Amino acid sequence: MTMAASSRPRTLDPANLDPLQRWLASAVEASRVEITRADLLSGGAVQENWRIHAAIDGGPRAGTHALVLRTDAVARLPMSLDRPREFACIKAAHAASVLVAEPIAECADKSVIGAPFTVQRLLSGTAQARRIIRDPDLAGFGPALAREIGNQLARIHAIRPPNDALAFLPLPEPDAVGAAVAEMRRALDKASEPRPALEYVLAWLLSHKPAPRPTSLVHGDFRTGNYLIENGQLTGILDWEFCHWGDPREDLGWFCARCWRFGNDALAAGGIATRADLLEGYNAASDAPITESELAFWEILGAARWAVIALLQGQRFLTGGERSLELALTGLMPAEMEFDALEAIAALEAGRPIP
Amino acid sequence: MTARRIDADALLDLATEMLRAEVLPALAPEQRYAGAMIANALEIARRALAEEVEAAEWSLLDSLYEEGEGSTAQLARDIRADTLPKGKAADIAEALRTLLIAELRVRNPRFLASRGIGG
Repeated sequence: MTMAASSRPRTLDPANLDPLQRWLASAVEASRVEITRADLLSGGAVQENWRIHAAIDGGPRAGTHALVLRTDAVARLPMSLDRPREFACIKAAHAASVLVAEPIAECADKSVIGAPFTVQRLLSGTAQARRIIRDPDLAGFGPALAREIGNQLARIHAIRPPNDALAFLPLPEPDAVGAAVAEMRRALDKASEPRPALEYVLAWLLSHKPAPRPTSLVHGDFRTGNYLIENGQLTGILDWEFCHWGDPREDLGWFCARCWRFGNDALAAGGIATRADLLEGYNAASDAPITESELAFWEILGAARWAVIALLQGQRFLTGGERSLELALTGLMPAEMEFDALEAIAALEAGRPIP
Repeated sequence: MTARRIDADALLDLATEMLRAEVLPALAPEQRYAGAMIANALEIARRALAEEVEAAEWSLLDSLYEEGEGSTAQLARDIRADTLPKGKAADIAEALRTLLIAELRVRNPRFLASRGIGG
């Protein structure tokens, strides 16, 4: 159950913006910054996102700017990065010419607004998956959008270790798939509900491990719903808190997994276009091209991963004492991903392409 | 099968609790009878739905184990350890699919319809 906006703790006080203005002026080497508006954006019960309008006098950023200020999340999902580390990943992506909200400044000092925060340029566009997928013009812009998304993914994956700015990210184990399956099995062991179908899928993954690819920066939650578009054009890639070193095909498989098509089942690439469109953009920009048949394994891995996450959300309701209908309903979803994974495995074993 | 799971029972229990605690008191007097009927219907559905999935589970387990000796927890362990009774393992994927379909008929029939499986 979500907290009412009024009961959510707030840090930034629109009535007292002086400390923020002074800090921001110093951060952007300006003589003066005036914040003319500050609006709390919806969403995020555990963190705050403020849209601020800033008039900057002097320095390299002189002018008026629409910015986003984000505080660190109070509670994070397991495996997710804290805000400073996520910000470091965004900076690395920005430096590699990936379309992200330009990272402008970060503040670890709690005394400025009451919590650490980051400042990025505000991007325009919508990220709402169902709005994108149901856009009447999707057939027109979808293929080009998927090619652009593929191009962006290739830029992310071109970031490879070692990378001093990302030294905090642990390097993957040599057998990354084996480690991922082991981690999912440990999660299953903690769940009170046995899922034999998920066990079957995990065993299949272990026995069909592909040869590894060179390690890349992996976004970790790259799917429709986590990028912004405006007038059919990509404007930015969001939600970097699951960034890690890994196999680049993980992002492509997650993007195409059947559970992230939002009902546009025939358009495998995130419900917006075909896998061929996505890979055309990817392979044009990557020095390590990927084939469509390679994606199947990673789509099945993606389905298994989402099934495990959903199962763990359900456990918070079942055994964690959280009386949330939303958690309970999420906890019922693993059967869907398991079903899709079994269908995909059956197709592969019959020599057919997966749905 | 003693494992704790989010079955129709747990879910309808919570939905009914929310309905009674949060929705019914806020209803206009002329809507209260309808609200009470919905709460009753949920209680009845709660009793009926739980049985379907169990039947599918038993049918799967009895095809793999001596009658009455299998459990989904045992099946999960045997799949992971690759120790399913030989000769019975061949159709395991199809049997699991049948079990998932039974679960999804309760959990999300619209999902099944989207995968070309009708009611």
